[in-house]
Amino acid sequence: MISRIKGWTLGVVQPIADWTEERTGVVTMLEHFLYEPVPKRGKWLYTLGSATLFLINLQFLTGILLLFYYVPTTDNAWDSIYYIMTDVYFGPLIRGIHFWSANILMIVIGMHMLRTFFSGAYKAPREINWVIGVVLIMLVTILAFTGYALRWDQEGFWAWEVGIKIGSYTPFVGAYVATFLLGGDTAGPATLARVFVIHVWLLPAALAPLIGIHLYLLRKHGEFGSEFEYSKRLAELRERQQIEEYALYEEGDEDSRG
Amino acid sequence: MAELQKDPVTRGQFLFMGVVGSLVGAVMTIPPVVFVLNPTIKTNLLGQSDIPDDWLELGSVFEIPSGEPKVYRVEFPQEQTYNGGGPLLGEDSMIQAVLVSWKEGEIPSILENGDQGSFSTSEIEELTQDLNVMSNHCAHLGCPVRWFPDRGEFLCPCHGGIYTINGGLIGGPPPQGLYKYAYEVREDGAIYVKHEFTNGEPWVV
Amino acid sequence: MVEVRRGPVEKGEVITEENVYDRPDETIGFFPSQIVADLAVSAALLAIVVALSYLVPAPLTEPVDISTTTYVPRPEWFFMFYDQMLMFFPGYALIPFGGIVIPTLVFILFFAVPWLDTEPGHSPVKRPFMTIVAFLIILTVVFNLLLGIIRILNFPGGSP
Repeated sequence: MISRIKGWTLGVVQPIADWTEERTGVVTMLEHFLYEPVPKRGKWLYTLGSATLFLINLQFLTGILLLFYYVPTTDNAWDSIYYIMTDVYFGPLIRGIHFWSANILMIVIGMHMLRTFFSGAYKAPREINWVIGVVLIMLVTILAFTGYALRWDQEGFWAWEVGIKIGSYTPFVGAYVATFLLGGDTAGPATLARVFVIHVWLLPAALAPLIGIHLYLLRKHGEFGSEFEYSKRLAELRERQQIEEYALYEEGDEDSRG
Repeated sequence: MAELQKDPVTRGQFLFMGVVGSLVGAVMTIPPVVFVLNPTIKTNLLGQSDIPDDWLELGSVFEIPSGEPKVYRVEFPQEQTYNGGGPLLGEDSMIQAVLVSWKEGEIPSILENGDQGSFSTSEIEELTQDLNVMSNHCAHLGCPVRWFPDRGEFLCPCHGGIYTINGGLIGGPPPQGLYKYAYEVREDGAIYVKHEFTNGEPWVV
Repeated sequence: MVEVRRGPVEKGEVITEENVYDRPDETIGFFPSQIVADLAVSAALLAIVVALSYLVPAPLTEPVDISTTTYVPRPEWFFMFYDQMLMFFPGYALIPFGGIVIPTLVFILFFAVPWLDTEPGHSPVKRPFMTIVAFLIILTVVFNLLLGIIRILNFPGGSP
């Protein structure tokens, strides 16, 4: 039964695939992506990276959905979120996914960074990928911070106020940082507009291409790094080296005697 | 893949790329940066404010109790982003809590005489000196400070900054005392306040 | 740089210092094994997220009131350690140091990690310096996080 479905599907899909392949080369590309050998021992550890990617994709998706109702003005921001939470079908779900996956993302991205650090996966030739990863974690942190200021509720507002005050202590340019983030010298409509543009346009626009480069470099160098993936080969190498050393030692011994 | 073709760059092409490239780069970077920094330039370099430079009535000196501050809520008109045009883009406002107390919490003797009439210039001066008109935002990171009657101090809930009734710093991480508003006392004892601070710039508020 | 070789293991390959890291002991195809693992984790996370969004709805506190005298601002959990750290830097001289300079230095340190640690070994045991620095940073974060939680639990109403 299954083999018949398989055969029938292949009969339909194969010509389409061939047609697309000739024009775009996408099938070869997919095969290249899908059939790449990856280390077996790191399998579950390497899901941290894909989990991060999945959660960021959830952020993009639910973020775009929330914008169907969210209004970034001081008069309406809070009410529009209240509306999402009370009147919109699946409103609590979409906003809940955005909120909770952001929280879990902070944990998972941290674990991903720790995994990369402790397995030494940032070593040559993967330095650039580590640097991009650090930029990504910075962007995600700022996104998390600006995100809850958008609610324009007490919690988000006061956190943003504290953030701006910390920014105003920046050596030499503190006053400029504060007015830049406020959009004036007081908190008001311009402040919310700035938080909005940073959270919704600026940082996601920076995040998306960097994720692309992160994945490209990962593919270029492969998901390798930790020594425990090579333990068998390392053991073989050490064994062979010891045998050679011993042979050399024996030779030297005979030389001195002779 | 076709083989790479590396033609030599002529002097003209090099110059063209340098000059036109710089121009394109300048148009694409300088106006956007200045555009985004508009409020920074206006506030920091030109000294403009979102709050109009007007005196707003706060209350009367007779309302300020002894030994504790009185909290006033002042609605400062605010011109930010939309500058008050048309019925939809109305002028915004920002409501701030202003803390007013007497120096050391003691009501000045002028008021204890039951003098309810108008004050003379010297009396106004004395009353002005005896008043503290403070912002309720902690000088550390801007959290709202609170008066604790049993301790006789202002406390900040965020990082534990402690201030006296005069707004002076007692302890905790804040770098200075509470921010003080510019204020004046009129002849009938009314206190007027302006969105201007005499000791440091609090930002945000 | 070491080019990662892919494909089946060559018969009779002599393992040398140069090619020992060419290929791990055992490999699996990205499809299907790795994708199944990724999907399992992602699906579990999605289930958790969906469950949480109904069990603990995303918070929405009262609308902004700048003139409040009773609201107690508290940071999100992932900023709690930073918030707690700011307690230790009082005054004009130290606030910029704790609030801006130290975080900047930490991020510069993060950026520099691949160049600070150029030893060939991947195992954390073989590069004790980096491991100790990392543990110190993690300890600082965890310790500050705990201090922050204790402080907030002790004074939920905000009175210190």
